[in-house]
Amino acid sequence: MKQAIRALAIATLILWILLIAFAITAVYSVMNLGIDFGESQFFSSNGDVVLSLPFFINNRGYYDISELNVTTHVKDYNGTLLVLSETFVPLIASGSNVETAHNISIALPDILSMGYAEFLFNDSSFELDAFVALNFAHAIPVQISMNLTIPWGAPLSNLSIEYVPPENNTLVIPISFENHSFFDIVGTMQLEVYNDMNELVTSEQRSLNVFSYGEYDEPVEIYLSIGDLSKLTGSGNFRLVFDVPMFTVERWIPYG
Amino acid sequence: MVNESSKKSFIKKMVPNVIKAAVWGIITYVLVGYLPTLLFPIGFLPFGYNQLFDLFVGIAVFFAVITNLFSGTIFGYAFNIARALIMIIYFIVAFNGGIISLTMPMQEFTVSLVVDVKAFLLILVLVNLLGIGKSLLQVTGFLAKKVEAEQLNQ
Repeated sequence: MKQAIRALAIATLILWILLIAFAITAVYSVMNLGIDFGESQFFSSNGDVVLSLPFFINNRGYYDISELNVTTHVKDYNGTLLVLSETFVPLIASGSNVETAHNISIALPDILSMGYAEFLFNDSSFELDAFVALNFAHAIPVQISMNLTIPWGAPLSNLSIEYVPPENNTLVIPISFENHSFFDIVGTMQLEVYNDMNELVTSEQRSLNVFSYGEYDEPVEIYLSIGDLSKLTGSGNFRLVFDVPMFTVERWIPYG
Repeated sequence: MVNESSKKSFIKKMVPNVIKAAVWGIITYVLVGYLPTLLFPIGFLPFGYNQLFDLFVGIAVFFAVITNLFSGTIFGYAFNIARALIMIIYFIVAFNGGIISLTMPMQEFTVSLVVDVKAFLLILVLVNLLGIGKSLLQVTGFLAKKVEAEQLNQ
């Protein structure tokens, strides 16, 4: 009996010491964890808009951090999932550090094909749900989640086009828009004028180079032949086609 | 006369226990309540966990005093078992059944933290159960000795 009690007492004592030592070193390790976030960057890559969130983890603790998984869900204002991105770091060993970035790649053509063309013309916002899962000391799973709203600036915001009756066989059409997005718009703009019979009257292509947060405000001058002039009516439709590396979008705007 | 002598023997028996209880009470407070505040900054524990920590210190000090005060009696063992049971309940409550979840409102967003300490909690519970097992064996030994002594006296 005495030996059993002694054995149990020793086992209990050893386990308590181990548990307390683990608790203290675990808390110490968490306190010494160096986590730093770099400045988020927007850039375009292969026609996609990429939001890059760089982060740096310096594991100065006693325990490894394994299976670090960063997942982000980008949703529209209705909660519809638009983009899912994941970054996986298999191991951040004790005493080592990791410098990486979580990239949220948004393929604008895919988003536009889902019927979100309005994102190009109207400012909006996205909901970003971020989940960080990791395994601390190969024993304690930790999950961090946060959600934030990201404002979205439309690249073709406040698009305006006016019909001015032609003078001296020249049609002058003022076009303006504001680029509220973080990327420059470099590409072409095709303007087509249709009469009230939906017949093409004339068209003109312009190159675009509108800087981020810049404004485009230029009239498009089109010389009309007698044949074009005869087709032109006081009402009809403008067709604008914007073709930039990140997206191609058309917009029909009635006039008259 | 008999009463006075039994009183004296009781006091004689209790004085070392009182001293032992006081010393263990102080040691436990220093180890459990004071040292952690030196190791980790005040306010390190989030939200309601400060109160839970104070409660833990209270339980630890109370049982360190009471078990030493009654050491050598059956009550000492009973308090040891009670301490282990209370600690099990305390750990289950403090660790929220093994899933600690915190919500921290930041300036523009809210961060939710979920820590799965089920494995750690399980070990804590098992160590306390081991403690209960040890105390039960001690009680059995204590009672067996007592019965043996009584039988020898007869």
